[in-house]
Amino acid sequence: MSRRKRMLEELDQDIRDHIERETQDNIERGMPPEEARYAAIRKFGNVTLVKEETREVWISVWLEQLWQDIRYGLRMLRKSPGFAAVAILTLALGIGANTAIFSVVNAVLLQPLPYPNAKRLAMIWSTWGNETRGPASGPELIELRSRSHAFEEIAGIWVTSGTITGTAEPEQVRLAMTTANFLPLLAEKQQLGRFFAPGEDRRGAAPLLILTDGLWRRQFGANPAIVGQTTRLNGNDFTVVGVLPREFKLLFPDSRMAEVQVFIPFLNDLEKQSRDTGYIRMVGRLRRGFTVAQAQSEAETIASQLRREAKEYAEQSLHLSVLPLQEDDVRPVQPALVSLFAAVVLVLLVTCANVANLLLSRSGGRRHETALRAAMGAERRRIVRQFLTENILLGCLGGTAALGIGWAALKWILSLQPEGIYLLVAAKLDGWVLAFTLMLSILTGIMFGLAPALSVARGDLVEILKESGKATTTGKPWLRQSLIVSEVSLSCILLVGTGLMIRTFTSLLRVDPGFHAENALTFQLSFPWSRYGTVESVTNFLKDLRMNLAAMPGAESVGGVSHLPLDEGLGNWYSYYWAEGAPIQLQNTVMADHRSTLPGYFRSIGATLLTGREFEDADDAVHTHVAIVDDTVAEQIWPGQDAIGKKLSVEDSPAGAFQFIREPVVVVGVVKHIQAHSLTSKGRGQIYLPVSLAPRPAYSLVVRTTAPMQTFAAYVQLAVKKLDKEMPVSNLRPQMDYIEKARAQTRFVTVLAGALAALALFLACIGIYGVTSYSVAQRKREIAIRIAVGANLGDVGRMILRQSGLPVIVGVVTGLATALALTPLLSGLLYGVRQSDPLTYAAISLVLGAVGVLACYIPARSATKVDPMIVLRSE
Amino acid sequence: MDSEPTTLLQGTLDLLILKSLLAGEMHGLGISRRIQQITGGTFVVKPGSLFPALHRMEEEGWISSFWGDSENNRRAKYYRLTKPGRKQLETETKRWGRISWAIAQALEAS
Repeated sequence: MSRRKRMLEELDQDIRDHIERETQDNIERGMPPEEARYAAIRKFGNVTLVKEETREVWISVWLEQLWQDIRYGLRMLRKSPGFAAVAILTLALGIGANTAIFSVVNAVLLQPLPYPNAKRLAMIWSTWGNETRGPASGPELIELRSRSHAFEEIAGIWVTSGTITGTAEPEQVRLAMTTANFLPLLAEKQQLGRFFAPGEDRRGAAPLLILTDGLWRRQFGANPAIVGQTTRLNGNDFTVVGVLPREFKLLFPDSRMAEVQVFIPFLNDLEKQSRDTGYIRMVGRLRRGFTVAQAQSEAETIASQLRREAKEYAEQSLHLSVLPLQEDDVRPVQPALVSLFAAVVLVLLVTCANVANLLLSRSGGRRHETALRAAMGAERRRIVRQFLTENILLGCLGGTAALGIGWAALKWILSLQPEGIYLLVAAKLDGWVLAFTLMLSILTGIMFGLAPALSVARGDLVEILKESGKATTTGKPWLRQSLIVSEVSLSCILLVGTGLMIRTFTSLLRVDPGFHAENALTFQLSFPWSRYGTVESVTNFLKDLRMNLAAMPGAESVGGVSHLPLDEGLGNWYSYYWAEGAPIQLQNTVMADHRSTLPGYFRSIGATLLTGREFEDADDAVHTHVAIVDDTVAEQIWPGQDAIGKKLSVEDSPAGAFQFIREPVVVVGVVKHIQAHSLTSKGRGQIYLPVSLAPRPAYSLVVRTTAPMQTFAAYVQLAVKKLDKEMPVSNLRPQMDYIEKARAQTRFVTVLAGALAALALFLACIGIYGVTSYSVAQRKREIAIRIAVGANLGDVGRMILRQSGLPVIVGVVTGLATALALTPLLSGLLYGVRQSDPLTYAAISLVLGAVGVLACYIPARSATKVDPMIVLRSE
Repeated sequence: MDSEPTTLLQGTLDLLILKSLLAGEMHGLGISRRIQQITGGTFVVKPGSLFPALHRMEEEGWISSFWGDSENNRRAKYYRLTKPGRKQLETETKRWGRISWAIAQALEAS
């Protein structure tokens, strides 16, 4: 029963008893019982009012005592400003780190995506072959849409690049083609104009266009009359029908989505497209009352129907998987953020242990005061409450300072600008974060304060009062020492995690991704089909540009490709391939990335040609059916054989863009595998085709140069302008940028983990130092006697070191063991290092041991300086 | 304290309750009878003032309560003076002495 409820019941009984007695007295005075009772009740007055007033007393007394305790607490803190400063600063660091990391976790993982009905949005992935998160083909989307009950809307998007001309400067933009229902799924309403209407995405419909706020402001000067006007995109006229809201952002599990600037409808009959060409990302909104699991099982049923109905789906072994949009969005960053959050909680625990230690040291001095109060009749409950109030007050003071530290830390975190955590920009100290910080302040106040408060309140009065004034080894040394053990082991876990992250980062620095990005400059061009309608016009332009650039001073080689390695800017192209003549079955096919490649590409990015040759201009000129494969593909299709001269079925595009037929090509070269998507995983094999066989709307050029990047960048601008004034150059940057970007997340986690581990280590050192100094101060008399009776100074120092060093050693050992048990949780973040990496563990135990012993050594040394005469005389 | 202005009564009531409990532990009605008796019937404490005052003083730690069996075998709440309560009684008594002396002085002055 709660205290309050019990008090209420007792009050009731007390009042009943009061009236009862009055009645009894009245009866004894000769009144008839009935009348006696009425008289008593009348005399008592309004029972409800009395109860209410009594209850009010409880509350006002409670508040008054709270205020008393707070004032008393503040006075105590003012009396020991050194203690107060250290405790508040420690708490501010610990809680502040939590505030900062929580604001990141909150913004990225906890807050719903900024879309209407965000919780009902889900990605629908096509699984074909061993690709589990593949795009869907046009017919697939239409079939799914017509058969699904779980989804009320299913929309599709494909991202490519386009060129806007006719405005101030030609600009290459990221272009999304969508179904008409796509944008209404993600935005409540437009800033200007309207969305696409149903049917406006069909073949033959008028070309319409929707702008994002950013592009509207930059290219069109935020002209409100833009709606209804036409603008040239890829050389065709499109009518602008709307501008998206300013805050609209495409947050999809694919980095390039976030940068889409222009939306146009598919303008195609999706159901008539090839079932073999998967390129559409599908997003659906669940009907109210349907769960993701229901949608998943329905999608699986539909997939099995489709496999029965069409042989293409059977060959692909099509499956469908449904994932909540938010879960899918944060999938790549979740392990990192969860690990960081766990780390910062460990820091908070170290903080609590530290402050608890400080309080314990101080409680020695306060036992006397408490005992006195208890002797004067203060209830134990009251004393514990007063201590708790004091500690929560301390926690809140620390929490207030933590807001400042958290704000600064968050600013610093945002300044690291980790790639791929788009939602991070939304991180701020909002109401959620403030509430979290307040909760944490109170919680830490209780956590670090409960043990000291109880230990003080439990003290034996007589004993304490008897020893009054004498400095003794009060309190329980084991409590202090176990706090040191936990501080050291928590820091140890953090250090091991950080060590493993640093090892991962250095492995990333050493990775050979199959190319050399140093000294390579890259830029992107896109070829609108209205002006570059034939394959020859594209190949001729590229050939001229390559020749002009190669003639510039400092140019070593010039090449290009449809997709640069580690550039997630353009939609990846991949398909399945098989050796010519092999039966078309899944087990005979190989899934490989498909790259349209210019002559000179491999030399320019510093890839290794294993056998055969690169493409030549002649390959494009005569539309020869040649291909270059990497060693991964060669090994998969022709294991143990020479791939040169072998024939392979590939998608050929002889009639211009996107009209594929399958044609055999002859392998003329084998190149060492290039890691195209990540530094940490091999990825699919790659097949390279000459431009004429596989024309693409955009190319990335690579120039290997000895000239400074800035200088050569200017050459590039000039050279492109000279060939085509309307051709925008985009993403002009050193190729190293892509490598940096690929390392960014690991760097982000490593830097943050490092900061947290350093903080924990620092706090643990303060803790060890504090406890050792305290115990030396407490034992001054004993030490003095030992020295007086002839102990040698080295013995005394060693004794202190042994006693204080033991918890450090125990802490290191338990910390290492715990870390070993916990590191499997980090496996998703690690690369090129074993979870039980002996080097990391050895280094951490050495560092932590050395630092810990040093923190004991300083006070231990001061113990040897004790002058027995002075100490003993002062007793 | 029927007709007395309540502003004056706050401290006075506490003092009277503490004083009457000096005689030993008693229940609420007993306290109110005792006050009536020792003040010669000048003050009659109504339950509306008594209950909040008892609870407040208990929370302040001046008095403590316990449940005991009364004469007719009913559970009843008894109050008794605590150590801080005795101290408070001393303080209050001194304070009251000063106030009444000061007021007497003031009234005598012409």
